[in-house]
Amino acid sequence: MSNENSVMTKEPAKAPETKAPKAPRRGHRLGGSRVGHNIIIAILCVIWLIPIVWLVCMSFSAGDGMYVASFFPKQWSVSHYVKLFQPDTVNQFPRWFLNTFKIAVFNCIIQTCFVLMVAYATSFGKFKARKPLMNVAVMLNLFPGVLTMIAVYFLLREFGLTNSHFGLLLVYSASSGLGYLICKGFFDTVPRALCEAARIDGCNEAKIFTRIVIPTSRPIIVYTIINAFLAPWMDFVFAKMILNAGISSQYTVAVGLYAMLEKSLINSYFTIFCCGGILVSIPIAILFFIMQKFYVEGVTAGSVKG
Amino acid sequence: MSKITSAIGGFFGAIGRYFADFGKAMAKGDIFVKLSLIWWGAGYIARKQYVKGIIMTLLEAGIILFSIFFAPQYVSKFGTLGTVQFEQVFDVNTMQMVPNDYDHSFLILLFSLFCFVVWTVTFFICISVVKNAYRLQLRAQSGGHINSFKDDIADYFDKKFHVTLLSLPVLGIVIFTVIPILLLVFVAFTNYDQYHMPPAALFTWVGFDNFKSLFTSGGLTVSFSYAFGRILGWTLVWAFFATFTTYFGGILMSLLLNSKKTVVPKLWRLLLVITIAVPQFVSLLLVRYFFANNGIVNTICQNIGLTGLLRNWGLINTTYIPFLTAPIWAHVTIIIINIWIGVPYQMLVATGILMNLPSDQLESARIDGANKFQVFRYITMPYMFQVTAPTLVTDFVKNINNFNVIFLLTDGVYTTTNQMMANSQAKETDLLITWLFNLTQNYYNYKMAAVIGIVVFLICAVFTLIAFNFLISGDKEGVYN
Repeated sequence: MSNENSVMTKEPAKAPETKAPKAPRRGHRLGGSRVGHNIIIAILCVIWLIPIVWLVCMSFSAGDGMYVASFFPKQWSVSHYVKLFQPDTVNQFPRWFLNTFKIAVFNCIIQTCFVLMVAYATSFGKFKARKPLMNVAVMLNLFPGVLTMIAVYFLLREFGLTNSHFGLLLVYSASSGLGYLICKGFFDTVPRALCEAARIDGCNEAKIFTRIVIPTSRPIIVYTIINAFLAPWMDFVFAKMILNAGISSQYTVAVGLYAMLEKSLINSYFTIFCCGGILVSIPIAILFFIMQKFYVEGVTAGSVKG
Repeated sequence: MSKITSAIGGFFGAIGRYFADFGKAMAKGDIFVKLSLIWWGAGYIARKQYVKGIIMTLLEAGIILFSIFFAPQYVSKFGTLGTVQFEQVFDVNTMQMVPNDYDHSFLILLFSLFCFVVWTVTFFICISVVKNAYRLQLRAQSGGHINSFKDDIADYFDKKFHVTLLSLPVLGIVIFTVIPILLLVFVAFTNYDQYHMPPAALFTWVGFDNFKSLFTSGGLTVSFSYAFGRILGWTLVWAFFATFTTYFGGILMSLLLNSKKTVVPKLWRLLLVITIAVPQFVSLLLVRYFFANNGIVNTICQNIGLTGLLRNWGLINTTYIPFLTAPIWAHVTIIIINIWIGVPYQMLVATGILMNLPSDQLESARIDGANKFQVFRYITMPYMFQVTAPTLVTDFVKNINNFNVIFLLTDGVYTTTNQMMANSQAKETDLLITWLFNLTQNYYNYKMAAVIGIVVFLICAVFTLIAFNFLISGDKEGVYN
């Protein structure tokens, strides 16, 4: 028994809520394991950050190309950042940034509306087709996006919408109603008594939606908006598919940066790619951190038993 | 199991009631109800709902015009997908070469499909029109209130608000998800490939030929079934490892970070999450050059003598370590890189769940003298597993279709040396989904891509059905309603 207890005191506690381990009988051993514990975490963090640090190093290195002999550059310079903002035939970073921003804003508006509309209808609506519709949505979600996009590509090509931003926007936003589940999960928790009270006061459904449910659902709306805004920035495959044969000034950031890494270009553009990668990551990372806590709630929302 | 049977039973029961209501309306309705089967406005106009009657009449007229003037030119050729080959003919009037009146197989397929969808919708509108007319008749007979047009509009913001909300999103889903999926299914039964590209050439129905060449080793495309087997195998192996390594890695890491002994846990968490906050097309493309044949990792390995050591052991026969360019090496590297990108994400999820871990259980286990491993094995893991089991299956399905990791790491880097694989435009590191992408984007082999797409769907459907059984038990909708 005493043996097991000593094991307990040495080991990390399981969860934040648990009480602190019993008073250490061997204080120095505990202190030692505490340092060791933090060193392990520090090592893990270093391993995880190596590629990111390398990205920063490469973007500030004076030399060109990716074939460097040392991890840290011998000379530092910001010349690649300057080059990034001097567009040439390959590098049109400012244009790409604007293109992506434009698509992201429109997608943000359409997708947020669609998701909120579908979520409200499926959460608050009381109509017969509700369950069947939701089951169909589950089935449609089974077809991976890339798969349906190949057929969508046929369709867009027939209507001359490939290599256009409008076509890409349609691809991102048209079916976005299917991603309503997280939002619906949140709406399900909005107290129904609130809506009943509003109805007695003479509100119709539309007013309940806009005056009651939306104002009380601020967190999930922030999540939906950020999520919709981030989608075009994070996406690579659909943009590549739709804008594949286009001219480089039409590209989004992802497709443009990818094009810099072609075999014939990589030697002169790799460091510029790193600069572009960092610049585009900063706003995305900030939004991602804001969204982070909703992320976890979203993933577990459907599975945690109430 | 009983849930599934009752769900199926409920489904057919609902269909039965749907048509029974229609039959009842047709049998018991007056002349206007019966007339509204042919003339949609009749029922409404008879009850003085003139605006609605006119709208329905115009809609019906529109559909009839569509069916007479637009539909036949495509639907009539649906059986053959066109017979007139594209040709340039000399026009004596303009003295120029002009294209003949050729058939465009793809447009025939697409617009026929569109007509089928329109007609299906028409069928359901027709039934609901008759039912509505009967309902109106009953209400008129009992002296109930008949909605004016203004009332109807108001209804769409109140009782029927869900219709207003759903119409646009559903239209988007039908055009951009349902029709493409149906199109994909149809293409799987044709010979639509680089030799049969409209408008220059026609394609036609070939039955199950494409499925045969994928699953059996007969016919001209013997390599397809070989490549399919290899790629399917790797897809499942990859999905298994990618899911479980990141799952357990995430749990372990979150236990480590949430320990009492950790100083500044928030800072550590922030550092780890940076990895996933950077878009994948940046981080993965970067890592791919990090591990390139003459990249920085190889340079370092060479300097510390690891490359030489591996060569002495006979593990490699090159002057570099082929992290992403040789079969087994690439597979292992990809899974390891995926751990790098996936663990912080799972760590976030696991942290959120561990926060809710019932601490009284932990406490009593501790009093009973359970050691660290026992607590983990008998309390933490079962709890984690119970909560995350459905996500585990969805993660598995997502990994089957994890396009980004595989494509960004291997496209243009990995070239296969296996002739059989190369013949079917595949690589050892391809997932079904990247193979399919490659077939359509670079080789215009739409027929095989469509077949592979259907197979991917079936695989995902099987795994999701399993997950669905878990999900039903976790549905918390009813609790709050």
